[in-house]
Amino acid sequence: MKEYRIDVFNVIGGALCIEADDGQIIYENILKAINNGTKIIISFKNIEMVTTAFLNTAIGQLYRDYRKEEISSHISFEDITDDVKVKIKRVNQTAKLFYEDPGRMQRTIDDILGE
Amino acid sequence: MTKYDLVNIDTTFEGYQKLINLYHEYRYRNNEQLELNLKTWFSGNLCATLGGLLDLLKDEMITINFGNIENRIETIMRKNGFLSHYFYTAYSDKYQTTIRYLKLKPKDGKYFFNYIQSELLNHPDLPKMSTILKSKIAESIFEIFTNAQIHSETKSIYACGQYFPKKHIIEFTITDTGRGFKEIISSFFNKDVRADLAIKWAFENTHSTKQHVSGGIGLSILKEFIDLNKGIIQVVSNNGYYKIDQDGEVMKLFRGSFPGSAINMQFRTDDVNSYSLANEPGLDDLF
Repeated sequence: MKEYRIDVFNVIGGALCIEADDGQIIYENILKAINNGTKIIISFKNIEMVTTAFLNTAIGQLYRDYRKEEISSHISFEDITDDVKVKIKRVNQTAKLFYEDPGRMQRTIDDILGE
Repeated sequence: MTKYDLVNIDTTFEGYQKLINLYHEYRYRNNEQLELNLKTWFSGNLCATLGGLLDLLKDEMITINFGNIENRIETIMRKNGFLSHYFYTAYSDKYQTTIRYLKLKPKDGKYFFNYIQSELLNHPDLPKMSTILKSKIAESIFEIFTNAQIHSETKSIYACGQYFPKKHIIEFTITDTGRGFKEIISSFFNKDVRADLAIKWAFENTHSTKQHVSGGIGLSILKEFIDLNKGIIQVVSNNGYYKIDQDGEVMKLFRGSFPGSAINMQFRTDDVNSYSLANEPGLDDLF
């Protein structure tokens, strides 16, 4: 499989992976690469801060259209801190729940309202 | 012209209630001139909340002037730059215990990062907190900022803080004047959700009202960190009040609704937790 490196710093134009809109740009880059059958290496080199809002759009929403195995076989990460690894794992687990069970959110509000 | 006294506004349910009362007293009095007096005490961090409410009143063509401000309140509000928005000159903050008042547009996330960096992370007189503690605090603040940015549809986001060296705490408040938790969640589920329960729901891990993208992690990251740090979170949104600290959760309802959301975070600066990640996943275990 061909490889393509996404340099997050360059793609979003800075060290801050904060905003959901910037995550969307990374998501579109990943999508293009997956559709080309390319393996993507996402580099967080020189990134200073990463929020879950950014990761939800950058990576989490891949689970809407792809299975876990397809995603993991196409994506790898480099230059990431342990803290970012924990966030990525958490975002991915949440995304799987969200797309696998669309009725779940309704049940959680019913639970809290005692209905 | 009418005069209104705000007396002893601290970061408590009662303090927020007094600010809500002010807003409801004047919100329909178009073209009125309001002279605001500040007496006894005003927590510096709540400038973020007062600033948002006064801007909403200004949108109703209410002219706002400050009358009598007790000396120690005026000093803090000049040092943190809040009164510069009302024609006062700023004082320099020799002991640097204030965290500057900031009003910014929701799109200015990168500007907000610079603010957090200069006011909090690189602040010379804040205690010698470990790098990881500073970064955890910054991360928590950012999750709140992006939450307001994504969900509230606010025109502006307001932030302000205060450092209390003897108590070893930082109080930091972020306020928006957009859609509150109750409005967003009730509209998403198409049912009337009580405001305090709406906030509680939003703080549970993986709960989110985003339509096509998963989410709901940011607020629970904050909650988990505050629990380890032994800090406090208070959320004021619509007529709901939600507080969480070492003693557990408190939920109450205000008389009158807060037009948006104010989130106050109290961080302990003498926290010696290592925050080492005992179970960080390997690179092959992220999916």
